[in-house]
Amino acid sequence: MNNRQITLLGPQGTNLFIFLIFLIFIFISWFTLYTLTEFEGLEFDVNNILTRQVVFSVASVIVFFLLTYLSIENLQNYSNILFFLAFSALTVLLTTQPRLGVRRWFDLGPIDIQPSEFAKVIIVVFIANYLSKNFNKVLLIFLILGIVLTILFQPDLGTALIISFVFLSMLLLSDLKIRYFLLIILISLFLFFLFLELGSRFDNVNIVTQYQIDRINEFFSTDLDFSQAQSRLLISSGGLFGQYFSTENIQKVFVPVETTDFIFAAFAYNFGFFGILFLLGLWGLLISRLRRILIVSNSDFDKFVIAGFISLLLFQIFVNISTVVGIIPVTGLPFPLLSLGGSSMVSIAIIFGITNRIFIENNITI
Amino acid sequence: MFLNKRYNVYALFLVGLFIYIISFLFDLQVLSRDTALSDIDNQTLDTFYITPPRGDILDINSERLATSTMEPHLFLNLRKINDENLEFYEQFIKYNFPELDEDDLVTLFLDRSKIQIIENISDFSATERQKLLELDAFEIFDFPIRIYNYDNLTSHVIGYVGRPTSDDFQEFPHTKQTLQVGKNGLEKYYEDTLTGTPGEITFRGSDIIEYIPPTKGQNINISLNIDTQRVVKESLLQGIELANENEDTLDEVIRSASIVLDVNTGEIVSMVSIPDFDPNQFIDGISNQEYEKLNRIQAFNNFAIQGLYPPGSVFKVVSYWLAENEGLFPEGLNSRRGRIDCEGSLSFGFDDGSQQVYQDWKEDGHGRVNLSSAMQQSCNVYFWDIALKIWRTYEGTENESILQDYARNLGFGELTNIDLPFERNGIIPDREVFDEWTITRPDLVRPEGWLGGDLMNLIIGQGAITVTPIQVANAYKTLLTSTSSSPYLNIAVSDNLKLKKYNISNELVTFLKDDLNLVTNKNGTAYAAFEVMGRKANDIGGKTGTAQNPGEKNNSSWFVGIDSVKNPNHVIVTVVEEGGSGSAIAAPISRRIIQHLIGSDLTPVKYGEITE
Repeated sequence: MNNRQITLLGPQGTNLFIFLIFLIFIFISWFTLYTLTEFEGLEFDVNNILTRQVVFSVASVIVFFLLTYLSIENLQNYSNILFFLAFSALTVLLTTQPRLGVRRWFDLGPIDIQPSEFAKVIIVVFIANYLSKNFNKVLLIFLILGIVLTILFQPDLGTALIISFVFLSMLLLSDLKIRYFLLIILISLFLFFLFLELGSRFDNVNIVTQYQIDRINEFFSTDLDFSQAQSRLLISSGGLFGQYFSTENIQKVFVPVETTDFIFAAFAYNFGFFGILFLLGLWGLLISRLRRILIVSNSDFDKFVIAGFISLLLFQIFVNISTVVGIIPVTGLPFPLLSLGGSSMVSIAIIFGITNRIFIENNITI
Repeated sequence: MFLNKRYNVYALFLVGLFIYIISFLFDLQVLSRDTALSDIDNQTLDTFYITPPRGDILDINSERLATSTMEPHLFLNLRKINDENLEFYEQFIKYNFPELDEDDLVTLFLDRSKIQIIENISDFSATERQKLLELDAFEIFDFPIRIYNYDNLTSHVIGYVGRPTSDDFQEFPHTKQTLQVGKNGLEKYYEDTLTGTPGEITFRGSDIIEYIPPTKGQNINISLNIDTQRVVKESLLQGIELANENEDTLDEVIRSASIVLDVNTGEIVSMVSIPDFDPNQFIDGISNQEYEKLNRIQAFNNFAIQGLYPPGSVFKVVSYWLAENEGLFPEGLNSRRGRIDCEGSLSFGFDDGSQQVYQDWKEDGHGRVNLSSAMQQSCNVYFWDIALKIWRTYEGTENESILQDYARNLGFGELTNIDLPFERNGIIPDREVFDEWTITRPDLVRPEGWLGGDLMNLIIGQGAITVTPIQVANAYKTLLTSTSSSPYLNIAVSDNLKLKKYNISNELVTFLKDDLNLVTNKNGTAYAAFEVMGRKANDIGGKTGTAQNPGEKNNSSWFVGIDSVKNPNHVIVTVVEEGGSGSAIAAPISRRIIQHLIGSDLTPVKYGEITE
């Protein structure tokens, strides 16, 4: 299986649909970033956002193809080790110097690695393996709680939230009894508020920073964060069809991190409501395609991995858009395959790559 | 164990989430888009700028030459203009401000995002102003008016202001906000000092939420004396009139310039260039026709620093200095006292055996002349002999251009760096220049290139040489004080002037002053012009110059005067383009200026003797 011929469309057997949709997302990202370069376009400069994204994209496509050579069996076998490595990396990260008040990246010169982006993927694989082998679910809960805590302490509320959502989703899809599932939800909510309460009581203990408390307090307030109000205005002025050729309003509003976490605002401004429908439609198309595995495959591991990826991607998109339009407080999550960022691009490429391999092993080529 | 049934329920949950998000976005982008757009306009602060009043320009006696006043102007806030009230405001403005023509009205309403100035309303009564303000889109702000108190008298020194062009935006970025820029003279040179900080009108949406009034620019004090300036201009006009009465004059004489330079400091006491213009015309907007008319007669050129003329005999001081300093006297002489026989012409042989005859301006000759009398009577033969001596001694050696080196050392061919824009540098010709011209401008030179005859022309200030009046004034100042520096108008620059010391002996300076003194006294070329001063002329000095112009044009009339030989205070340089003989026109003009400077009674400019 591993000595497949290399063709124009990657190693033989590559699922055309997945690969094409992957490329389309990348092109959309380039277009959107191009409008944010004030139409200067590509420049040979490491600080040019489009140049960076193109480089990241090439890396992503390579990663996508490389993962075609990793068999699902091996992936399943390595999942525990990978989980251990991710856990260690996230723990080590907590000992590094905070930057902008958070410990989120390993500084590697021109690029920074955000391990939590990769941890998300590994956790899905780990949970899938765990659930498909019917191991003790109580132990699993504690393992996931542990790794979520390391992320929560960075602090990175957004990623912690996503991982919790994904874990709960995968539990729901397992044979866990519904009443136990509801109990877990109740306990999680209880722990969440206990965590907040402890944080605000022992301010000096620094379990949670005031910054996070503020963020969470905002969660329950109706006031919009300034950046969210601005991005909301930007999205609104996009209208039905978008303002691709006009930069007028984009200069009048102040949207922070509009190349990364808030890129959806720029996308909505440029391509309008129909643009959003198109983008979300593409994701919907992809997800409905992935559903075939759930029907066709005999392997529970395959199904859990795919279901985990589906919930991971959709929750991330949902949380990102909700943040940008101000439904929930700012959490700092990238939009998959749209935001500028190497770690995010490559981690999504890993998801697409593993998915591709699952399709190959189930003999679905288109 | 993966449960597909649960996935279907779960998928429904996800679909629900996204339906919610999409409906939310639909509301944002379609239903409440207009509110958002007006919110953007309302949160956007736009700033418009109001031209600041410029700093005043004061003369040496603190007389205000240029000043700015703030006068109330009516402005139209076009953000308050909509399709309903547009017609009303159009009619209202048309009816109340009949001076505005149709074009003005069209441009007024062109950009609906701006605030536009309508008219000066300083002669409106308080109630009338109140009535205007009752209309929503009208605003009243003070707007500066530049006033030049002495009209034409200071036109070239002070210059004028105007609307900035794209070039001005590049040179002075602040003019994008001030919308006013100095176009010429001190107004341009000291743009950064004179311009103030613009006022700011801040809009949120269509409402003005903040108004910061402009602040005035810094004043500058200049060395000009407006009384002297007036006398200089009168004298020039009298001289021009006189020159036009002369039948030798073919073209009408219209161009002339005069400078009074303080030799001890380098201050410009007076600088007049004729024809001139009234800078106040630019404030109300000069008509194209008027502008073209002034431009055609070159009224915007300051000939004192931009006029390029051959200097004629006033250039002889260069070889005078060279002869003394290098001991280069006519063949057979070894000191300034030695005399040659001037027979009115000079003939000498070339290597190829041909004979060349140079004719002095005085046909009968000047008789026995030494360096002093050669200066006094402007004897060309004596200086040609010096040129021949230079040629025979140095031809083809690196010292060949020794005369040009002396000239450049005195600042000829280079900018004096006076604090005025558009100064020109003229040219001191030598072999290199001629070689270059052979290629680039073959019409100007003979194919043989640089010859001895060119040097003989150069030594008496003729031929290809061109100089500006300010260079001549500064060169004489350098010789009289053994120090050179840039002349200036703004007194503030006097603290950091670059002084260059010259090795000129006191003896030479004394000789030079005495010989210049001979010029304005008996037997001197300018005696006729200064005779009227009687005994007072005993302390005056000068040098006449009559520079030949190409073709049919009459000569240009030059005079360089010193107000006192014992204790020189001012150098006066006067040039009248096509004015004829230096001693006939420029000398009596300068005499009248000197009369003013030393406090004598002024006598009218009278035609002097025709010499060179």
